[in-house]
Amino acid sequence: MWTSEHKPVVGVFGFSGCAGDQLRLVHMEDELVTLFTTAEIKFFHMAQSHQEVDHVDIALVEGSINTKKQLEELKEIREKSTFLVALGTCACFGGIQYLNEKDKAFEERFKHVYGSNIKKEDFTVGEAIPPQPLCNFVKVDAMVPGCPIEKDNLLPIYTKLIKGIKPQKYPAPVCVECKLEGNDCLLLHGIPCIGPVVSAGCGAICPSHNLPCVGCWGPYEAANYKSMLDKLEEIGVDKETALRKLKLFGGSKAEEELEKVIK
Amino acid sequence: MKTYKLMKEDFPQFLSLLQEKGNLYGPVKSKNHYSFEKIDDLSKLTFNYTRTLMGLKKFVTPPRYKVKHFDKSGSEDIIPENETNIVIGAHPCDIHAMKILDKLFLGQIKDPYYKKRRENLVIVGHSCMPDENCLCTSTGTDMVSDGFDLFLTELQDFYLVWVGSSKGLFIIMSSEDLFSEKIDMCDIAEYTTWQENRQNSFKTTIPFHLMPDIIHLIYEKDELWNQFGEKCLSCGTCSLVCPTCNCFNVEDKILINADEVVRERMLDSCTLPYYSVVAGDHDFRPDRTKRLKLYYTHKLKEYIGKWGQPACVGCGRCVTYCPVGINVKTVSNAFYEAIQCVREVKKI
Repeated sequence: MWTSEHKPVVGVFGFSGCAGDQLRLVHMEDELVTLFTTAEIKFFHMAQSHQEVDHVDIALVEGSINTKKQLEELKEIREKSTFLVALGTCACFGGIQYLNEKDKAFEERFKHVYGSNIKKEDFTVGEAIPPQPLCNFVKVDAMVPGCPIEKDNLLPIYTKLIKGIKPQKYPAPVCVECKLEGNDCLLLHGIPCIGPVVSAGCGAICPSHNLPCVGCWGPYEAANYKSMLDKLEEIGVDKETALRKLKLFGGSKAEEELEKVIK
Repeated sequence: MKTYKLMKEDFPQFLSLLQEKGNLYGPVKSKNHYSFEKIDDLSKLTFNYTRTLMGLKKFVTPPRYKVKHFDKSGSEDIIPENETNIVIGAHPCDIHAMKILDKLFLGQIKDPYYKKRRENLVIVGHSCMPDENCLCTSTGTDMVSDGFDLFLTELQDFYLVWVGSSKGLFIIMSSEDLFSEKIDMCDIAEYTTWQENRQNSFKTTIPFHLMPDIIHLIYEKDELWNQFGEKCLSCGTCSLVCPTCNCFNVEDKILINADEVVRERMLDSCTLPYYSVVAGDHDFRPDRTKRLKLYYTHKLKEYIGKWGQPACVGCGRCVTYCPVGINVKTVSNAFYEAIQCVREVKKI
C-alpha cells in the first residue's frame, strides 16, 4: 500500500459522537509513546494543538456525519487518505443518533427537539442533515466497531496498516466470545439477548454478567434478523419492543435488513 | 484392564490424592450450566450432572493461545510448560471426543502444541445417566474402554475404578490402601444391574449409519437444507460447544512496537461468514445454508467415510445449546422425515 521508507502518516478525525473512541486512543497509556513514534501522527483533534491535513496514509475516523460541513470534511479526508478506517459504532453504522431515522421526517424530528424558531441552516457547526454512517458517503476500507472501541481490536489492524499490510476482516457475533467466556445462551433462559446479531469485540461483558446484550457494537455482518426476531417473539418479546432493541445501536444496516425482513 | 473397588467413604481421600499429583479440574455448577473448572475447594465438585458447556477440548485446544513469537532475530515456538492437569468427571462421550481429537492432532503429522497439552492431561472419567438430549447409544459412544487414565463407575456404596493407562495405575499404586481388588459376585451384579438400568434410560435413537448415503443422495436438494439455513443465526455456538469441532483460525498480531509478531490460534467455526475465504478473496460458502451443509456433511458423512464413525459423540451439546434448535437430532430427523415416501416401498 505504501513503501516503508518513510513513517506512515496517520490522521485521527472526529465527527458526531461522544469522542470516546479518540479518548480510548489517548487512554492507551502503555502504548501511547510507541503509537506516536512508529507512525507520524499529523492530525489528532483531541491530542494535538497543531493540526494540518495534507496527505495521510491512514485516516482513523470517528463519529457519524450530521452536518453538511462534516460531509465536506469527510470527502476531503477521503480524497487525502490512502486507507480510511471507521472507528467506533457511530462511524461504522450511524450509532445511537441514527435511531428513529425512518420513523418520522427529519424536519419533524428536528422541530420536536429544537422548536420551530431555529432553522437547520442556523447552526454554526454547519447545516444539520440526518445522521449517517461514513460508508453511506465514502468508501470505508476497514471498520473497527465498538462503543467505545477496544484496543485489542484496533491494535492488530493498526499495526498491520503501519507496516503496509492489508488487514483481513473476520467478523463474528458476540455469541462466539460469549461461549469462549464459558456462558450458555441467555436466550435459552428466556432473556432477550440480541448477541447473535451484534459484532463481537467487547468480550461478551454483559452476557457474562447475566445481562442481555443491547448491541452497542453494532450489527454483525452475517446477522440473521429474521431468525432473531422469531426467537425474540418465541420467548415472549412483542414485535415493537424487539424492533426497538434491534434498532437501538443497529444504525443504517439494521434498518435496511429489518425493512427487508418485515416486507 | 485392571479394576479396583473404591469405597465411597474413601472418595474424599482419593480426591486429595489427585490434588497432590497435579492441578485438579472437575465439573462445577457455574451460572446456569456445568463447566470443568480448577478445583481448590473440593465441596464445589459435583458429579450429578449431564454435560458441561465445553468438553475436554478446552484443555488441549484452548479457545485462544499463542503459538509462535517472531522478532528480527528469528522465531520461537511457544510450547506449554510441563505440568500435570488432572480432570475428573469426564463422561464416556467426552472421552470418545478426545479420542477423535487425538486421531486428528496426533496422526501422521503431530501438532506440537496439542501434543504437549495432551501429555500434560490425566483423564479420570466418571459414569453418567442420560437425559433426553443424549444420543450416545446412536453414535456408539455410550461405553468407553480406552482413552482415559482412570474411570469411575459410581454404584451404591462404592466406585468401580477401571484403569486405562500406566499413568492411572501409578496413581492407584501410590495409595494402594484406598483401593481393593476384591470384587465379589454381588458387586458385579450391582454393576450389571446399573448398566442395564442406564441402557434402558436412553430415550433418543437416531440411525446415524444411514446418514452418509442419505446426505449424499439429498445433497443437491436445497429446500431441505434451506429450512435450516434460514433459521441459522451463524453464531458459531454449535462448533464452539461441540467436543469434536476443532477448527482454528491463525492470526499474526504485530505488536505496537512494529518489530515483534505473536502468532495466535483461536477456536473457529465453519458457520461464521468468511470461514471459507481463500487467497484472492474468493468465498466458497457465502451463505448460511452452504456453511451449515459443510458442518453436517463433515460430521455425519465425510467423517464416517474416512474413519468409520461420525464426528459426533452424541453428547447432546448442540441439542442443548443451539438457541434456534439446529442440531444433529433435528437435522437427521428432518432428513428421515423427508424421505418418508408416499408410495409404499417394498422390502426386497
